[in-house]
Amino acid sequence: MPIALLKFPTDLLREVFQLCNPFELYKLSICSKRTQRCVMLGGRKNWKIRSNAVSSEVVHVDGFPRNFDKNEVLLYVDNLIYVFEKAAKPEDFFITQHFVGDRNFFRPDGRNLFRPEYVSIQCPDVDVELFGSLLVTFGIPIVDRLRIDFGSFESFSNIADILIGRNIEIKEFCVGETETRKVIDAVNYMSLINQMNITQKFECEQKFLRRHNYQLNKYPDTIIIKWSFWFNIGQLLNNNCVRLELEKSMLRNEELDGFLKEWKKAGTFPNLRWLQIDSMKIDKNYRILEIVPPIRNSGKTYIKIEFGWNNHMGILGPVRITKEEGTVGWLKVELGRSPNLKFLV
Amino acid sequence: MSSTEQGTSSAAPAEPTTAPESAAAPEVPESFYYVHGKDKVVHKVSAGALQHSALIHGMISNLGYTEEQAKANPFPFENIDGDILQMVVDWCNQHKGKPTPPEDTNLPKQKEKLFDLVLAVNYLEIKELLTYCCKQVAMMVKGKSPEEIREIWMIPTDAEDEAAEKEAKKRAGKEAAGETAAAAGDAK
Repeated sequence: MPIALLKFPTDLLREVFQLCNPFELYKLSICSKRTQRCVMLGGRKNWKIRSNAVSSEVVHVDGFPRNFDKNEVLLYVDNLIYVFEKAAKPEDFFITQHFVGDRNFFRPDGRNLFRPEYVSIQCPDVDVELFGSLLVTFGIPIVDRLRIDFGSFESFSNIADILIGRNIEIKEFCVGETETRKVIDAVNYMSLINQMNITQKFECEQKFLRRHNYQLNKYPDTIIIKWSFWFNIGQLLNNNCVRLELEKSMLRNEELDGFLKEWKKAGTFPNLRWLQIDSMKIDKNYRILEIVPPIRNSGKTYIKIEFGWNNHMGILGPVRITKEEGTVGWLKVELGRSPNLKFLV
Repeated sequence: MSSTEQGTSSAAPAEPTTAPESAAAPEVPESFYYVHGKDKVVHKVSAGALQHSALIHGMISNLGYTEEQAKANPFPFENIDGDILQMVVDWCNQHKGKPTPPEDTNLPKQKEKLFDLVLAVNYLEIKELLTYCCKQVAMMVKGKSPEEIREIWMIPTDAEDEAAEKEAKKRAGKEAAGETAAAAGDAK
């Protein structure tokens, strides 16, 4: 026997919506614009959301399979995980399933959640539009993690507008590599990223076109950039990260020397605990802190730092350097096929 | 609700239907009140049972009626169908003085009455029964597809909503024009 739900007064609708799970609210919200507005009346939900909006396909590069993350949106609600997955065929649309312990998840606090109970729903599309729609419909104030690619500026811009307009905190933001591995002119993307409220981690796997000097204006706790030629000495000197990792960097000995001299001054880079720079420009032709690279200690000293559960970085055989105020840092610079600098505080 | 409103009830109190009482007789004689719905059938309900309704509880708490006065002044709920009020009264009696269990088997089962029941319970401010009813409403769409949800909850499509909105605007325009014309006629 049907009932005319939308004829209920708003407070009653709210009561009913509070008793619906996220899947039912999602399905209701796509019934019509009016139902979406109604679901929004239910108020802000302090649910944690994570999204992987990159391809789920396995792409072969140089004969090796590159396993992309699964394309899905996860909602963490009252100790239960709701997974929005892309349906393989139309017959599966909106089918929900309940699972116990057949996969692991990351908890919102970054730790691994071993084989928990979760429910899934098969959606027609799992993309940034779905992610944005869930953010708006449920009024979610914090994004736990968003992994996205630069495949379509329009899609990116749409989701960025929501994130910026609502000043949503994004704890971890990861730019995945596009499926085609194409090089992207990221100047417009970077301007949007600089307006987002990314607080804990910025990770970029995408290769940018070498036409512009891309500028990152805000520095979350952790920055990991895979193709970091654009991250110049100015940005390195301005950063206030805890952990900074730059792969395929273009930074030279002179610049690294300048940075380390700056670090030695009292009060500079108070947050920095780990710096790793892989750069083909590091060589033995210029001294870093008056030492000709490679810089290492022949002893077996191993210094490491923990970044949360099961996540640590370390250096074997570093050289001790001391800040003016007495803080100790550990430095190692290696040459060879992949020259790199590692610095731990 | 004021006492004047009670006094204006045109219904001569019919022979009240006494709902079964589940609680043991209290030491102090229990007071009773009388309510009726759209059908004017009067129900005798104990003050203990009526405590479930925040609305009625608020009304009676300061009245101090004698049994005769209460009988002579039943609370009229003209916006509630008689059979719905009967369900509500039954539920209140069954749960008089008891904590309500998480799963209530005494919940009225008639799905076709659910919509009116929810509105009545919301009006009478019976919080626990309202939660049960809303749960039933929510359960109606559990595991359903959007298309099924649309049918179960009678949700119009965007096109239907737009058409209804246009129609409402048109009607409002006509009414406004009619009022203007009437006002102009009056002025002449």
